Amino acid sequence: MFGGGIVQATLAPALRIGDVAPDIPLIVVVLLALRRGSETGCLAGFAAGLLQDIATGGLIGVQALTKAVVGFGVGALGGRLRVTQPLVQVPGLLVLSVAEGLGRFFLLKLFRFPAPFTEVMTYVVLPQAVYNGFLGAAFVFALLTAESFRDRSS
Amino acid sequence: MNRRGLALLGAVVLVALLLLTLQSRGRSSQAADAVAVVTTPVQLVLSRVHRGAFGLWATYLDWKNVRAENQRLRDEIRGLRVDGLAVQETVDENRRLRRLLDLRARLPLGTLPAEVIAREWGGWVRSLTVNRGRGDKIARLTAVIAPEGLVGRVVEVRPGAAIVQVLTDPTSTVGAHAVRTRTSGIVEGDPRGGVRFKYMARDGSGITPGDVIVTSGLGGLFPRGIPIGRVTAIDDRGSALFHYAVLAPAVEFARVEEVLLLTGDTARDLAAHFPTDG
Repeated sequence: MFGGGIVQATLAPALRIGDVAPDIPLIVVVLLALRRGSETGCLAGFAAGLLQDIATGGLIGVQALTKAVVGFGVGALGGRLRVTQPLVQVPGLLVLSVAEGLGRFFLLKLFRFPAPFTEVMTYVVLPQAVYNGFLGAAFVFALLTAESFRDRSS
Repeated sequence: MNRRGLALLGAVVLVALLLLTLQSRGRSSQAADAVAVVTTPVQLVLSRVHRGAFGLWATYLDWKNVRAENQRLRDEIRGLRVDGLAVQETVDENRRLRRLLDLRARLPLGTLPAEVIAREWGGWVRSLTVNRGRGDKIARLTAVIAPEGLVGRVVEVRPGAAIVQVLTDPTSTVGAHAVRTRTSGIVEGDPRGGVRFKYMARDGSGITPGDVIVTSGLGGLFPRGIPIGRVTAIDDRGSALFHYAVLAPAVEFARVEEVLLLTGDTARDLAAHFPTDG
């Protein structure tokens, strides 16, 4: 997770499509939470968010809080989701990204964040959510493929 | 959902809110500074790795582009070379035609320009086919010249074309004399593809390599004074009546592209209209 926050600040710009960059730590937190449960998801989310806050020079604690909540929630509900299904992966990550974005926005609003809601949703949260959905699905697919190769070889 | 999990979530939320509250009160997080001491070097390393990887990618793309550009330029060069050859060909043709035109304008007799359209270069026959024939009122035995000198004579006239026997044809004979010594003789074609000047040794003892041989005008077929060739060697046959001089033909028969057919009065002396310097 330590790397996740830094990777986001350092490498995510390279994956940018237009002005939209994926939230890699969020994807990692979701994957960890699905596999390891809510406690790991919560801690991972907190750590990743905190490091992201520090690495990006934002208000420290915002992403730590939102990602911790997302990690916890996904970990708690993970058993009921079939994440191998692309029909779940893409919309699931999209919804989670939107939820995280909404949480972040309202938290920041408490600290006088000036940008209007519609603009943030239209130009930041939703495009990133869509990107996260597809990138997360690709991650899951890559992980499952790697695991099936490993199982076959062992 | 177990209690420990909820407690953990609560603790995390509390810590986050505490951090936010502290910042909102103007206390810049010292913990953040401490973490930054660790994160900054890692960011630096990652940034370099990232830059290196992308640099490598950029280099690869550059290489790919350069390769494509190289191929494009090669194709362009190939095209330009072909164009250049075509231009050179046109320039050469232009030069040849100008020389032919100059000669035609200079000559005091009727001429008809013709283009060589075929060549027969076997050992038995050496001839050119030109694009003037019966329709152009070309007569058999018409003399054919180029700006450099004599080419030969028409031996066959067909509709739209005529066959010209060149001087190197083994059956070709032309009355000639050496410009410097006035020695008369006959220029014959050589089966090996050369031309030789057969002369009486008694008259031609003074012929030396470099002498220019021109048509003599005897027989009325060829006008007098058209260059045939230059002596390159003397075949001394001792006390024999005839000796031979090997000639380098004035005209390069293998390369001649345009010729003039002499249609007018062939009894005139044309020596003044050709550069003989001999």
